[in-house]
Parts: sequence; structure tokens; C-alpha cells
Amino acid sequence: MDNIQSKKLLNHYSAWKYIVLIVTIIVMLFSALPTWYGENAAVQVGAKAGLNLTPIELRDKLTAQGIEVKRIEVKQHGEDKGQTLIVLNDDSEQTLVKTLVSSMVTEPKELTLALVSAAPSWLQNLGFEPIKLGLDLRGGVQFLLDVDVQPVYQAQADALVESLRQFLREQQIRGASVRIDNTRDDAALQIAIALTDAAQADNSARATVRQFIQQSYPTWQLTNADNGLVIKLSQDEQSKLRNLTVQQNLQIMRSRIEELGITEALVQRQGEHRIRIELPGVQDPAAAKNVIGATASLAFFEVKESGSVNAQVLKDKSGNPVYVARSPVLGGDHIVDARANIGEMGMAEVNIHLDRIGGQKMSEFSRANIGKPMATSYSEYSRDEQGKAKQTQEIISVATIQSQLGDRFRITGAGTYQEAQQLALLLRAGSMTAPVTIVEERTIGPTLGAENIQNGFAALGLGMGITLLFMALWYRRLGWVANVALISNMVILFGLLALIPGAVLTLPGIAGLVLTVGMAVDTNVLIFERIKDKLKEGRSFALAIDTGFDSAFSTIFDANFTTMITAVVLYSIGNGPIQGFALTLGLGLLTSMFTGIFASRALINLVYGRDARRHVRV
Amino acid sequence: MKNINLTKWRYISSAISIFLMLASLTIVCVKGFNWGLDFTGGVVTEVQLDRKITSSELQPLLNAAYQQDVSVISASEPGRWVLRYADTAQSHVDIAQTLAPLGEVQVLNTSVVGPQVGKELAEQGGLALLVAMLAILGYLSYRFEWRLASGALFALVHDVIFVLAFFSLTQMEFNLTVLAAVLAILGYSLNDSIIIADRIRELLIAKPKLAIQEINNQAIVATFSRTMVTSGTTLMTVGALWIMGGGPLEGFSIAMFIGILTGTFSSISVGTSLPEFLGLNSEHYKVQVITDTP
Repeated sequence: MDNIQSKKLLNHYSAWKYIVLIVTIIVMLFSALPTWYGENAAVQVGAKAGLNLTPIELRDKLTAQGIEVKRIEVKQHGEDKGQTLIVLNDDSEQTLVKTLVSSMVTEPKELTLALVSAAPSWLQNLGFEPIKLGLDLRGGVQFLLDVDVQPVYQAQADALVESLRQFLREQQIRGASVRIDNTRDDAALQIAIALTDAAQADNSARATVRQFIQQSYPTWQLTNADNGLVIKLSQDEQSKLRNLTVQQNLQIMRSRIEELGITEALVQRQGEHRIRIELPGVQDPAAAKNVIGATASLAFFEVKESGSVNAQVLKDKSGNPVYVARSPVLGGDHIVDARANIGEMGMAEVNIHLDRIGGQKMSEFSRANIGKPMATSYSEYSRDEQGKAKQTQEIISVATIQSQLGDRFRITGAGTYQEAQQLALLLRAGSMTAPVTIVEERTIGPTLGAENIQNGFAALGLGMGITLLFMALWYRRLGWVANVALISNMVILFGLLALIPGAVLTLPGIAGLVLTVGMAVDTNVLIFERIKDKLKEGRSFALAIDTGFDSAFSTIFDANFTTMITAVVLYSIGNGPIQGFALTLGLGLLTSMFTGIFASRALINLVYGRDARRHVRV
Repeated sequence: MKNINLTKWRYISSAISIFLMLASLTIVCVKGFNWGLDFTGGVVTEVQLDRKITSSELQPLLNAAYQQDVSVISASEPGRWVLRYADTAQSHVDIAQTLAPLGEVQVLNTSVVGPQVGKELAEQGGLALLVAMLAILGYLSYRFEWRLASGALFALVHDVIFVLAFFSLTQMEFNLTVLAAVLAILGYSLNDSIIIADRIRELLIAKPKLAIQEINNQAIVATFSRTMVTSGTTLMTVGALWIMGGGPLEGFSIAMFIGILTGTFSSISVGTSLPEFLGLNSEHYKVQVITDTP
């Protein structure tokens, strides 16, 4: 019944449409609200930090240093039980407070810089959070790192060349020379095996080499050349190696950044071989650079009896001392590759591949030490605040040598598969085959960030004010509809930006918002102009509204679609701030269609839907 | 009578558009761009110094420290300077120490971009422009008859070249945000053209007997108030951005402002005259006779 009736009715929206509209706007309003309150800088003191002060004592101590504290929270339950949160009044004092508090705790590592929503707790309990701000609005340091994959390919090629030469010697194939072809420009190396005429004549030489490579190095591709064979890493293997290398560097960077104690830090891959690191709140790039630029290395040690004099003591992960020989058997620079695997017995293991010299050393050492343990250490060189190099060294595994080892061997007993993967990662990291360089660095001061926010929102406010005033004056009767639509458009847009995971508001993003304000009214203008036309043709107001909306729709769609194309292209090709612009531009188009067509129709239907007058002036 | 004037006006303004476009192309070719840090690579530092310090005091200190010609530009506020220099071994000298003799120094921001990254960004930017153009071209040819689409496309190229020429002529910095503005202009300029083209299409179908000049004029008149209102509100908001947005958004707002102005102009003049010149008429939008009726 209802259905049939509503079809006959002109300008009628059923109740559920109004419910959808109202619920959407209310939810978006709640989602947008926390952004209005903003965020406060805070210092987070972990439960394990060993802080022996009550919140009141802590506040008094900080006030004595001239620091105003907004509030101090101690979490009583949940995951972070015992965690203390010091929320500050002045954002710029964050680092200062961290240094002050670190002298009051036993484990300064447990201190982290954080940002907490300043919204009232009932709003936070609903799960709504403020919009994430980009570095250009918040201030901080941004790095772009380039991972050089070439040396990884080089190491692989070197290992192959060495073992090929050895193979040729063992098989007594004469007249064959192996060399790496460096003349080519492209990323991957190729190895050329040149055969003399005598060797050419003997077909078996070529076949033997072929068979050897196919069996032992299946990841390399063989092609016949005029005077011998050419071997190249397969495309598949190249991208696999590149991915592994970049991932390994990502992991290393993440764990290093963790030590800096910034909860909001972002470490992500960009493109094929780049890593983007964003450190909001950090003002001194030098400190961050030292951490990022640290180099890691790895070594294998002979394990001595505990208490032995002729030994050095290193700690393992749980802090137990391990006595090892003063000089290592082998350094990590001899490791070509390390990968985790599930072995024959279903146990996790790590397969290690050494270069030739490393293989010889390991073979000699292991022959003499079968049944004895061998330790693997991981050390990291980094620079402290004074720029002095400091080394941290740790034993990551102790394993028993089962038999004589060559250039390929495996370590078992590393624990679960995940742990084996972790070890393989560290081992590859230890070889540090891929040098990382900082190719881009940007620092935005906190005052400049705050200034950018202020300028951006001032422009947004002014632009919005002018537009609202203009629309109200120009389309007197319908102007208020456009204005309500525009305001709800902004509410929905802000709400969406806060809701969408990964959405970041940048300065160009604010520019996109301002542009959206100007263009969003276009939808309403197009409709209103059509309604005016229809009124001129002598229709009643209600009928003009109906046909006006219908005839404007395809035009609105066409006009918005092209801008949407550029927004999508910008988002997929651009980076950082530009993506922020594309995001607000694209979202703004969608929300302006929603409010301009749906919300304003709902309003007009309600107020003018039954208006049968003719010659109405709009 | 009035409509004949409008036709005349359209032809004259189209001629002006084409002339300006050729002039713009020449400017771009001759003067080139003042590429921003994003594309060239290098170091840019913004510092806050005492208001009384002049660039003639800054320059020698910096040139000596970095052993190159450091470009010193005064920023939007007094006492604020933008320093730009190439990334060499000397460029890692601490800027605050170098300027210490001049009193208190506050480093507001620093950007270092490697030459490789700059090159890649320039390539990416060019690619973005190309992909956007192609996608729009595809959409237009699907949605409109080619003669009608060519007008919109010509207007689009016209607007982009005009904005580029402005940046070339004034030697204002052409950076990533300006590129984003140029891409936004791509979308915006089409907005106007499409709305007029939509009307032309509608009128061609509704009044097949009418001369094409007359149809174009009617379409322009019918959409004129909408064109003015939307361009007006967008210009106002972009103007607000120009006034209040501060230094970082200045290039963006200027580019958008010019783009919207020329976009409105070109969609009325060249955008409608070119399809006319190419011989667009109602035949191209004739309703197909239903074939299955005997």
C-alpha cells in the first residue's frame, strides 16, 4: 500500500530516508567533534619503568621545575595496567618532561612520547578519535631512505663465481673463464662463462657446467652465448631478493625507532626500494639520524667454559653471561644469505650460505670442534648524542656443531618458525649487504606547524563565511537550504577524515577543504538554476523542484566525475602532502554530492514539497 | 540582435585566447620554470632572525660557510628568511652556528632532497599529468561527441598552459603543491566546459532546426548565471586561501585563482567556438530511428 502511495506522491521522501540522513549526520558530528578539541602532548611511563612516585608527588616535582601539567592518569585496569600518563599543557615541553622523568625512573627505556585526545572522556569512550595530522601541521622530522639493492646482487654473484671456479677446477675443465659482467647498466649483474675454441669443440664441458648450475643454483637463468654461457638472476629471484632486503631494513628501522620512544612514528615502504620514516614531535634530526644510520654486524664465536680467563663475556637475550673466545671465528660479512625453513623433522631451521673464504674458515673450525657449542652474536654500532660511536653486542643463539660445516649449513634449535625467521632476518641484517642512505630529510618546527594549522583554518573559516553569506543573499528563498547542505557537508567530511583509517590531514589537504567549500555549492547552484528555468516555463513550485532535481543530476555527475579522475590520479601517483590534498578533494566531491542532492532534497521536500504556487521567485 | 553580438564576442575572445595561448607557450619555452626544491633537490632552510638584519648581512656569512652562492629570499614575515643551497659536503655546516654572530637564530624548518628523489618526483608529476589527461580524454570521448569534446579539451589545455606561463613569467617557485593545483585545474576547468556542453547537447536534441551558433549562444545564456555563481564562490574561497593561507599555500592559491579565471573564460569562448568551427550540428545528436518498426 505504502509503496503505491509514495509513487504517486510528488516530492516525498519516506521516513527511513530521513532516518538514514539524520543518523549519518549525528554519527559524523560525533566523529568530527574530537578534532575540535585537538590533542595534548603527553609522556607515557610504562608499568615496568619503576616509577615510585604517586601522581601528586610527580605533579609537585614537575611544577617545581616550572612545568604545568594538565592531568596525570594512572591506568588501573586493562592491558596497560600500572601505566602513568602525564598530559601537558604546553606541547613544546614534551621532550623536557621526558628527560626530567627519566631521572626519576629505573628504566628510562619505558618512557614514550605520545599524543592524547583532549576530547571529553565520554566522547573517547564511544571510540571517536581526532583526525590524524600530517607532519607539516604537527611538526617533526621526516626521512626518506634509499635501500641500495645492488650489493645484494653482487654478493650473490660473487658467491656463484667462486663456487663455479672451484667446480671447474675439480672437474678439470680447461679453457673456461668465469667473470662478472659489470659493463651493463641495469640493476642485475650477469656472469659470463667464456670457453676457448678447444673447450667449445668438446660439448661435454658446456653440458657439465649447465647441469651444475641447474642443480645447485636453480634461481639463476642460463642462456647460450656465442662463445660460452651467460648466467643471470631470474626476474623472480631479483624481486624476491629486493623485497627481502627492503623488508629486512624496514624491520631493523622499526625496532630502532621503537627505541626512540615515539608512539606515533611511522615507518613504511615507499615504492620499490625506499623507506619513509615520519617522526612527529621530534625536533632534532641529528639524534634520529644517529639511530637510523647505525650499522649492524654479526659474528660467530667459539664458546669457552664459564669462568675461563682467556675469554670475553657477552650477555644473551635474557641477560645471562656467555663466555666466548676473544676473537670471532667468522664475521657476518661472510654471510651471503640466510633463510628460515621447516626442516625434515618438522623443526624450524635457518639455512645459512657463506662466501668461499667464510666457507673455508667455517669448515676448518667446525672439523676441530664437532660436538662443541658455537655462539652467534649480533652487534650494532650507533652514535650517541655527543656523536661518539658506541657498540652494543648480544648473543642471539648458541648451537651445537653436529658435523663438519661447509659454505652452506643450517642452525637448528632456534625455536619456533617465527623465531627462526627472526634469526634469519638478523643474520641477513648482520651481513648488512644493503647500504641505506638518507635521500630526503625534512624538519618542520612545531611553531611553523601550529602556524600552518592556524592559517589553514582561518582561510577555511573566511571562505566558508563568505560563501554562506553569498548563498543566503543570492538565493534568498532556497539559500538557507544550500547553506544547511554546505555545513552538513563539512561535518560529514571532517567526520569521515577522522573515521577512515590512514587518512591524514595535511596543509594541502586543508587547501582541498577550502576548495571543496567553493565547489560544493555548485551542486545546489545547478539544481536551483534548473528550478528557476522550470518556474519560468510556468510550472508550479513543487513540480519545478521535481523536474529541476531530475534534469540537473546527469550534469552534476558529469562535472564531478572529471574532478574525481584527477583526485584519484593525484592520490595514486602523489605522495605525502599531495595525497592529503587528493584525499580531501575526492572525499569532498562525494560528500558534496550526498548533501547537495540527497540532504537538500530532503529539506526542500519537507518545506516546499506541497507548494503549488506558480510564479515563485527563487 | 543581441545574440549576433554574442556570437561576435565569442569569436573575438576565441581569437584572443588562441593568441594568448601561443604567447604563453613562447614564454614557457623561453623562460622555463623556477623549479622548487621538490624537483631539483638541494637544501632549503627557513630561519627567524632579528627584524633589523638585512640580506646583505646574511649573504656573505652564508656564502663563506657553504662555499657557494646561497640564495636568500625574504619570507612572508619580517625577520624570516628562506635560504636555499645545493647539497654538498659543506652544506652540513650547522646553520644556527653560522648565523650566530647576527644574534638569536631560530631554525623553523629544514628540507634536504637528494637529486635522485627530485628527478623521480618530476617524472612522477609528469606522469600524473599525462595519466589524468588521458583518463579525462577517455571519459569525454565516451560521454560526448568528439567535436563537442574537442572544445572542452582545448579549453583545458589553454588553462593549464596559461597558468604555467604565469609561473614561468613571474619566476615564482614551481613546487609539488603548485603541480597539485595544476591538476586540480584540469578537473575544474572541465567542470565549466562540461556543463555548457551538456546544455548544447540538450538543445541540439530538443531544437534540431536551430543554427549551431544560436544553440551555442542559448546554452551560454542558460548556464551563465550558474557559471558566474560557482566561479564566484570558488574564487572567493581561493581568495580567502590566498589572503589567510600564508606562505606555503601562496603558490597553490595563485595558481588556482588564475586557473579558475581562465577556466571560466575559455569554457565560454574557445570551448564553444571550436566545436562550431569543426562543424558540429544537430545531425550528430539526431535520435536514432527505431529500426524494428516497419
